[in-house]
Amino acid sequence: MRMEKDYKKLVSSSGRSLWRTIGLFFILMGPGIITSNVDNDAGGITTYSLAGSEFGLKLIWTLIPIMIALIVVQEMCARMGVVTGKGLSDLIREKFGAKITLYLMIGMFLTNMGNVISEFAGVAAGMEVFGVDKFISVPLSAFLVWWMVVKGTYKSVEKAFLVACIFYLSYVITGIIIKPNWDNVVHQFLHPQMSLHPTEMTMVIGLVGTTIAPWMQFYLQASVVEKGIKLEEYKFARFDVIMGSIVVHVVAFFIILVCAETLFKNGVKVETAKDAALSLAPLAGKYCTYLFAFGLVNASLFAASILPLSTTYLICEGLGWEVGIDKKFVEAPQFYGFYSLMIFLGAGIILYPNLPLIQIMYLSQVLNGMVLPAVLIFMLLLINDKKLMMGYKNGPVFNAIAWVTTLVMIGLTLLLLIQTI
Amino acid sequence: MNQRLKDFYFFSRFLNQKIYAASGSKAAKIADLIVERAEPYPRLIGFVVRAGRRDKKLFLPWEKIAFIEPQITLSEDGSLLQKLSLSEKDYILLREEVMDKQIVDTYGAKVVRVNDLHFLRMDSHLRLVHVDVGFRGLMRRVGWERGVDKALRWLFSYDLPNQFISWKYVQLLTGSDLLQLSVSQKKLSHLHPADLADIIEDLSSRERSAIFHALDTETAADAMEEIDPKIQKAIIETIPVEKASDIVEEMSPSDAADLLGDLTEEKAEKILEGMEQEKAEDLRELLEHPDETAGGLMTTAYLQLTGDVAVETAMARLRAESPELDIIDYIYVVDHEEVLQGVVSIRNLLTAQSQQLLSGLLAPRVVSVKLDENQKEVVEAFAKYGFRALPVVDAENHLRGVISFRSVLEVLAPDAG
Repeated sequence: MRMEKDYKKLVSSSGRSLWRTIGLFFILMGPGIITSNVDNDAGGITTYSLAGSEFGLKLIWTLIPIMIALIVVQEMCARMGVVTGKGLSDLIREKFGAKITLYLMIGMFLTNMGNVISEFAGVAAGMEVFGVDKFISVPLSAFLVWWMVVKGTYKSVEKAFLVACIFYLSYVITGIIIKPNWDNVVHQFLHPQMSLHPTEMTMVIGLVGTTIAPWMQFYLQASVVEKGIKLEEYKFARFDVIMGSIVVHVVAFFIILVCAETLFKNGVKVETAKDAALSLAPLAGKYCTYLFAFGLVNASLFAASILPLSTTYLICEGLGWEVGIDKKFVEAPQFYGFYSLMIFLGAGIILYPNLPLIQIMYLSQVLNGMVLPAVLIFMLLLINDKKLMMGYKNGPVFNAIAWVTTLVMIGLTLLLLIQTI
Repeated sequence: MNQRLKDFYFFSRFLNQKIYAASGSKAAKIADLIVERAEPYPRLIGFVVRAGRRDKKLFLPWEKIAFIEPQITLSEDGSLLQKLSLSEKDYILLREEVMDKQIVDTYGAKVVRVNDLHFLRMDSHLRLVHVDVGFRGLMRRVGWERGVDKALRWLFSYDLPNQFISWKYVQLLTGSDLLQLSVSQKKLSHLHPADLADIIEDLSSRERSAIFHALDTETAADAMEEIDPKIQKAIIETIPVEKASDIVEEMSPSDAADLLGDLTEEKAEKILEGMEQEKAEDLRELLEHPDETAGGLMTTAYLQLTGDVAVETAMARLRAESPELDIIDYIYVVDHEEVLQGVVSIRNLLTAQSQQLLSGLLAPRVVSVKLDENQKEVVEAFAKYGFRALPVVDAENHLRGVISFRSVLEVLAPDAG
């Protein structure tokens, strides 16, 4: 805190130069990069692994449109945060009233509950590789996460989580040392193909849902607001968001590539974390399972520290209840109640014997994708409100991209539902 | 006029209700409620309605309503309604400016969100008397009030209470209300500065600077002293320099110096230039000292006198200058070179003869700290001697400032409060 202040002083007094620009970026960096690393949570790793192992490189082209959509959507959130100084659920409540907000909050609670369950599934699956039973690992990690956030020690642990995200590099390295047929990879991007088979549509919804998760938009906007970024500094925040979105996709690309080249080619079906871990065998040999498990557990705990808290914030803010970990329990009972409920219910469900952990992580991301269009519609209506955004409304290109994303997701979801019935 | 009014109404009862013409045909739908901008309980003066094929927004004055119960009926033909042409200064559009927004409850000293509004009948009018911020109000808005009521009664024999805040204690944060200076500052300046600071910290940046525009300088300065440094800085950067100078001038010198020290030199200099010269000099001097030394903690708003002053005169000076002083527990006695001679506490003053000289009241040993002494040593000195303030001297024992207990508390527990 103190250091940040001093740096900022130093930077702003160093005159107009390249250093000043770079320095300012590092100070304002954060929300986008952190959000994108949380994006690669247990559900993310699982979904990308499944995409590669079940469909090979067939669906890898979808990463391009998804990346464009993610940049647009996150930029919108960051802009709304900077211009209005308010969180997304605040804005929804003030514009659309109590009724709509309550239903949306119930929807967000259920969707995010799915995500929390998936994070603890990630912990369970990862720790099983280390030989730790889920009846020990899950309750312990639930309590750890709860304690860390309530006692306010989370901020210092966050850096450790971020550093551990270097784990994703192992996919990049593996992707290079297995020497894939790059011509073929480029060919897949240039000749996108997709059938309307339910499993394929489900996977595309899952890929979108895990990359552009609804809860992340609330989280990103809240962090931008909390950071107090001013309009003049907004260009740095925008760069941060774009960088973050690109990093997510580089990681996603290599996970899918590696799984396609190793698991898909050898016909391995991913049913447990151990199967997914085999994709890292070219790099880590027999230690690949440990490497993968470490990455999975880190990603799960990282997201599990943020997701329940962020969900609780957005619900309480939307419904007008006291929030904040600096409040006492009696001052903010709903806040602590919801927060504890999400963690302990999420962890509790995973304790049910013989759950298909991989499937749970995957399906929670598909659910994300199905809920996304609803959140996007609210965002679009808000960001085109002249009174709210003043001179910072969406331009026609951003509107077009966001609306197309919304309509495509609604279309895919409806098609899938019709086919399933 | 007898409009068959019930004794009370909620906003949610009116919103989106259909309005019928005298003939019984449907004439319009309520889109908003308008009250006059008056204290303490504003009167409902009409509705904004949507009517006609193109859903035009029209104004329906209260006088043109024949009945409210059992259905809202006009006393004349619906086509006679006029276009809405009210000045925002005199009226509040409740849905636009109050419903679902955050407001300050100046009685409970916190920021809350409005779930519903409660009107009472007075003669043939309705007046806005309460803001509903409770769960019951929320359920009423969603249309679940009865269901939730029944469920809770059946399960726990529990009746969900209403959580009302009297309109008297409501401070709006949105729309044009903040421009109504006289109204807003009256309500907010009743709050304790520390409570006001907490409230300001809870708001968005836009609302913060709006509030600072509306507050009088003294209240703004008192609140500013209590606000988190990071937010202090953000606020100062958004308000005009002249206003910033006025506020900083009113702040206690030690807090003001801390704030200026966090700003860029350029900005701090601009603010100092707009201030009274003497005060600016003091602050410039305080700014010289690093934050973590005794010099960085001290204030210059204390009373120093020479030893040949009588108790009577000292008391009179203390009385006259106390509004400007941070330290009123002690008077510091110096010689003509400003070398610290000793300290006289207010207790000494009260118990002494009025003609006695201050030099006769001094304790044999004076406790002080050095300018460049570390924060930690200052804290230890406070803990050891139990004084409410400690003088700060330079190497030649010249009195340079005084550290108050409050500043030490901020070092010890920066996050508390």
